[in-house]
Amino acid sequence: MMHYRVARFHSFLTLLFLLTASFILFAQTVPTDDESIKSGEQLFKTNCYTCHRVKQKWTGPALAGYETRVPSIAWTIEWVKNSAKLIASGDEYANKIFKEYNNSQMTAFTNLKDDQILDILAYIETEAKRQDNPPPPPGENVAGGGAGVPSAYLNLIIIGMFVILLLLLVILVLIVNALKKFLNQRDLSEEDKDVVDSPYTAGSIMRSPGFIFVVVFVVSAVAFKTVIDGLYSIGVQQGYAPKQPIAFSHKIHAGVNEVDCKYCHTGVLKGKQANIPSANICMNCHTYIQQGTITGTGEIAKIYAAVGYDPATGQYSGKQKPIEWIRIHNLPDLAYFNHAQHVNVGNIECQTCHGPIQEMDVVKQYSLLTMGWCIDCHRKTNVNTKDNAYYDKLEQLHKAAKGQKAAMKVEDIGGLECAKCHY
Amino acid sequence: MRKGIIAIVLGAAAVLAGCKAGGDYQGLEYAPNMYHSVAYEPLSQITDESAGTIVNSLDNGRGEYFNSNKYNPYAMNLREPAPNTVKRDPRGWLPYRGKRIAKDSIPAYTAKLSNPLRKDTAQVAAYLEQGKVLYVSQCQHCHGKTGAAESKIAQNYALGVANLKAENYLGITEGHIFHVITFGAGNMLPHGSQVSPDDRWKIAMYVKQLQSK
Repeated sequence: MMHYRVARFHSFLTLLFLLTASFILFAQTVPTDDESIKSGEQLFKTNCYTCHRVKQKWTGPALAGYETRVPSIAWTIEWVKNSAKLIASGDEYANKIFKEYNNSQMTAFTNLKDDQILDILAYIETEAKRQDNPPPPPGENVAGGGAGVPSAYLNLIIIGMFVILLLLLVILVLIVNALKKFLNQRDLSEEDKDVVDSPYTAGSIMRSPGFIFVVVFVVSAVAFKTVIDGLYSIGVQQGYAPKQPIAFSHKIHAGVNEVDCKYCHTGVLKGKQANIPSANICMNCHTYIQQGTITGTGEIAKIYAAVGYDPATGQYSGKQKPIEWIRIHNLPDLAYFNHAQHVNVGNIECQTCHGPIQEMDVVKQYSLLTMGWCIDCHRKTNVNTKDNAYYDKLEQLHKAAKGQKAAMKVEDIGGLECAKCHY
Repeated sequence: MRKGIIAIVLGAAAVLAGCKAGGDYQGLEYAPNMYHSVAYEPLSQITDESAGTIVNSLDNGRGEYFNSNKYNPYAMNLREPAPNTVKRDPRGWLPYRGKRIAKDSIPAYTAKLSNPLRKDTAQVAAYLEQGKVLYVSQCQHCHGKTGAAESKIAQNYALGVANLKAENYLGITEGHIFHVITFGAGNMLPHGSQVSPDDRWKIAMYVKQLQSK
């Protein structure tokens, strides 16, 4: 009885062992069915894509051809689940790859199941093959059609037309002269002679008082306007676009890469100054992004020099020196302006005053920054009273005084008072 | 006589056309000694001691515009706070004293860290609103509008931006998020110097809301 039981227990164990072994064996092969690949694609996009690309070295290694590099599929699964443990166990390949990527640790995906990881591997293998043999590009008739005339040709066409018009004019003058000569050789009546030899020649028109008046008027009007414009531009720095010590492009940062203005200009919601960002904010990204889109490494190296960072070793020397940015928007010291009041309380977009900053490679002063310009906006702009208990009473009083429908403008709450800005 | 007037007007026009600002030229200033700050300005300073000598109304022989503290390093007006000083927090909080650690150790390290803002239950909705604004300005350009790292930066650069919607991040606590904003994790650098503790907790709240969507 006893023996029998033990034997059964043994056979049960064997069966269990065989089952697990077969399960492991089954699990260790990368599936090839479409469903697995599809689920693998989904998993890859959510979990791996931020650090890995299939054919491109990204934060982590390119994953295509992983199967030729890793010791085994089981190793790969273990690595994905907890690479730190594998490294700590002294595994040779794990340590090699850890060193190769500057000792940066891969996130542990403990929640991924074995078959999910296998699905991801299936996707990687198929995707690598697909990218190796790209499908032939669809028919060539797509290119070119309806692209319009290139601008270089457009200029040539305009110049050509101008030349033709000039030639026509010359020909017409020649024809007139020839006809005159021909008509003068014949006997003409007095009336016809008057028509042929008109007293109004180009010379006589130019000497006439009417013509002189018009010319003098136009010239002096233009000169007068330039004088007035010139006088008005004194003390106005609109258009000022100085060369900065680092050729920083707002277009690349705020435009192409959609970095919010407030990320770098940290003071804008909290204080008077929007703040010129300190270099440690630059280093949040430029520790890794060492190559610029337009200027290559040259300009980014200037940040490293300022903060004392060595990109080769990733170490800070502790030797820092300030970057001497040139201030563009200089409000005269006689006027007070507060960014927080406008951006945080008033909900005004940066672009309202600073213009399309996200399109500027070199920033220029977009607005006038004159008193008239400030006042104009204070007259036109409604106060943002929504969800702001500070204005509840004011709004009530305003409506009582000016009627229920009267909008509360900035001027109504003292936006035109001298002492609001000058004190 | 008439020719003289015309010549004067034309001459003035030519001279005044040069007053307009553009490129490196700042333009001509009117009443310049009312424009330049006498007091030290935090972000604009003039280190040249002779700047504005022409308009100086005092007898000290110095430039009127000079407003830089030459005893500071690089004659800067901005200084760092003295070492070992603690910023007065409006809520009376002391600074969060943690340190940057390996990312796998963060869950255990921050297990006991809970969001103090959750105590004002009446304010939570408002904090979430503010958290959204802060997330948009401080986090969105990398982590994306929905948190799934669908941003331009994550697409364009090999930074390893965390996909906050990925399963291994869904379980993180608000304390974990607070810690990561303060000291960074993986490739993310510390943002403690630019985001206040208050704002960090609001962002943490909003991130949890994003993840639950």
